[in-house]
Amino acid sequence: MTLAIILVVAAALALIFILSITVSRNLQVSNTSLAEGIQPLDVEAFRNLTDVAEDAYLRRRLRPADFRSVRRERLRAMAAYVQVAGRNATVLVRIGQSALATNDSETAEAAQQLVEQALLLRRNATFALLRIYLALAWPNSDSDTRLILHRYEQLNGSAMLLGRLQNPSMPVRISVGS
Amino acid sequence: MALYCLGMLQAHSLLWHYLWVAPSVLLLMLGFGLWRQGVHRQHPFFLAFVLASAVEQLTLYVLDITPSVEPLTWWRFFWGGLIIESILKFALLSEIFAHVFRPYVAIATLGKRLIGLVGIVLIFASSMAAAFAPVDSLFGIVSGGHLLQQTIYIIECGILVSIFGFSWYFRIGIRSADRGIALGLSVSACVHLATWALVANSSLPDESRVVLDFINMTTFHVCVLMWIYYLLVPRRVSAKTAPIGLPENNLAVWNRELERLLQ
Repeated sequence: MTLAIILVVAAALALIFILSITVSRNLQVSNTSLAEGIQPLDVEAFRNLTDVAEDAYLRRRLRPADFRSVRRERLRAMAAYVQVAGRNATVLVRIGQSALATNDSETAEAAQQLVEQALLLRRNATFALLRIYLALAWPNSDSDTRLILHRYEQLNGSAMLLGRLQNPSMPVRISVGS
Repeated sequence: MALYCLGMLQAHSLLWHYLWVAPSVLLLMLGFGLWRQGVHRQHPFFLAFVLASAVEQLTLYVLDITPSVEPLTWWRFFWGGLIIESILKFALLSEIFAHVFRPYVAIATLGKRLIGLVGIVLIFASSMAAAFAPVDSLFGIVSGGHLLQQTIYIIECGILVSIFGFSWYFRIGIRSADRGIALGLSVSACVHLATWALVANSSLPDESRVVLDFINMTTFHVCVLMWIYYLLVPRRVSAKTAPIGLPENNLAVWNRELERLLQ
């Protein structure tokens, strides 16, 4: 009977999960509100955090215990950046998908490119976060988030292109800094 | 009135006949409609599943009401139908997965690996659940059928949760037809998992089992209506999306970023 109860509860939770996803998907959000959900990111600051030379310098200059403490702080900051980048990517996936339905082939192509790059960024952000959390446990290890940075920069370009194609007078911003 | 309703909640009542036959007839109509609209080209396994389910349920119904048919014969047909339906159901799940994730190169491979991993875990979990379930040695074909149903629904539920969860995590839109098929399968799988788990793992009295049968039949009826709604009812064409309301600042920064990217 215990097994039956476990399975009944699991089935109920699965149904609630699926129905809630379906209902939330049906609630339409305008593109304007979506674009407002994008949080600006300072790419330069993130680049600095992921700089291997900076880490090597800190490792040389600080005592091992101090280095681990500083490294953890830097990793936490890195995680915060990656989380925001991942969230921005999901917003851009939705904006890109809503733009896919357009009749203009150039815009549709740019939207497709934006969606692909945003999905790639979301995927990389997920893996990077896992690695960052692992690195928090072992601060002496390396966490290669440079790939995320590269993807994010590519994504900036795609979002800009789509924004200009849909509304040439206004750009879309997902980062600040150069 | 209450007595009348209670009378309906019994095997071989008018409601019982309706709930067994009507969904199958509606499924045949759905299959015909899908064929006429040409939807079967995009959803061949769904059409196969629809037709096979309808034929299976109508066959079982006819066997059930025919007095000359032995219970053992009925259960043999039940097993045969269940195996064919399960194969088609898993093919259908792979069809839904392909429709949802294949268009996105960035996550298609990851999704395939994840679903494969989830499948292995689910097979292991459902085997464990079956191993711990009580087995009736006298009516092995009956309890075995219940366990097989439970096993199939555990795997089906888990894969559907993974598909919905994965698409939600990446915010991928699911096309209306695929969403309708997946939603109908999910509702059916979750409710059937709960009822078959109760039947397979507890010694319920016959009256309770009949109530569970009614819950299963009603759920399946609702799911068939959902499929008809999502696949045969014409959808409104959504209005053209408005341009993105983009912030005006940082144009220079973005231009520099784009130019740097284009170099």
